[in-house]
Amino acid sequence: MSTIRKPFSKDILHIENIESVCNEIIEKLKNDVTRKLQRRGAVIGISGGIDSSVCMALSAKAFGSNKVTAIMLPEQDSSNDSLLLAEKLASKFNITETILEDITKALEGFECYKRRDDAIGSVINNFDPTTDKAKIEIKQDAASNLPPVFSVTVIKPNGDVNSKLLPVKEYLQIVASTNFKQRSRMSMLYYHAERLHYAVIGTPNKHEVEQGFFVKHGDGGADVMPIAHLYKTQVYQLANYLGVPQEIIDRTPTTDTYTAEQTQEDFFYQMPFEQMDLIWYGWENEYSIDEVARVMGKTSDDIQNIYKNFERKRKTTEYLRMRPIF
Amino acid sequence: MHTETDIKTKIKNYIIESTFDDVEKIKDDTLIFEEGILDSMGLLFLIEFLQEEFNLTTTDEELVVENFQSINSMITFVESKM
Repeated sequence: MSTIRKPFSKDILHIENIESVCNEIIEKLKNDVTRKLQRRGAVIGISGGIDSSVCMALSAKAFGSNKVTAIMLPEQDSSNDSLLLAEKLASKFNITETILEDITKALEGFECYKRRDDAIGSVINNFDPTTDKAKIEIKQDAASNLPPVFSVTVIKPNGDVNSKLLPVKEYLQIVASTNFKQRSRMSMLYYHAERLHYAVIGTPNKHEVEQGFFVKHGDGGADVMPIAHLYKTQVYQLANYLGVPQEIIDRTPTTDTYTAEQTQEDFFYQMPFEQMDLIWYGWENEYSIDEVARVMGKTSDDIQNIYKNFERKRKTTEYLRMRPIF
Repeated sequence: MHTETDIKTKIKNYIIESTFDDVEKIKDDTLIFEEGILDSMGLLFLIEFLQEEFNLTTTDEELVVENFQSINSMITFVESKM
């Protein structure tokens, strides 16, 4: 018997029965942690972002709020809002154990900031890390037919902006040094998980996993990832259903990694989530370029280039998803 | 002063050496990124190579497919900067 698939539409990713989907995720999470992993609860790093908030809400429902330990892991570049929102989230779900672990000192020990700032300073001559804000970003459009490359942008206290294409050596040094942040957080989460005999809940969504927007052995290091199969707009749907605080739902997703404010769209995805979800779905399910272009109000050339961009990202980040080879 | 043949040979040799690809696969008009011969890191290393070899700096604005899509495009780009 052949099945007729739905025509491509802007509603194609909408979850019809949200209650049943949430319950399935909760049941699977409970089974994965208690039966497969043989752990008695969950440790989760909460950032005040939508993904970790949804994972925490799911964990609280799966294990009970007294079997979930929420860890806030700010460092000197984190926004103050992140901490306030994380606290509000833990309170909303009655999490009995919330722990604040400031990882700044650990990062100073690794010389994370110095190594990063040295690399930025060698590209932007008058960069002063004590007063200036900095970030790295992709400036090309996702429909560009060239692979994405990063530029560094420095913002002076008077608002002057200086941006340059990053040479390979400095780009790699900036990424490698800032990755200490995610890897230090992972170490701290496992400290608490091992002390409590709990599992670490990973918070990446489908785009982060498949496009490689995570740090190997950093935020990619976890025991179970309950929302790794969900598109970002579906994560928002779950957030609304689960009662995640509105301020978290309304907040623009940021990297919270560099000193200058930076959205995830600027840093990596190159297009808004609402568009990316649908076009990714179209690409993954082999909808025709013309059909997707018509629904999305874009040209077929644009969609073709975006399909290529997705293919390139999945291919070039394969290394991140690979287990050690032996 | 680099001749067009010099530039072509150096770029082609660089791509072959850095990708371990078959020399027969890379023609002067092969679409290097479209064919998956180089990825985004490959593009960054290529920009570094062009800087070291021909002493030219690539700006944000020059980072367009017309300048990098094939060996022929790169030759035109390098010549325009010399």
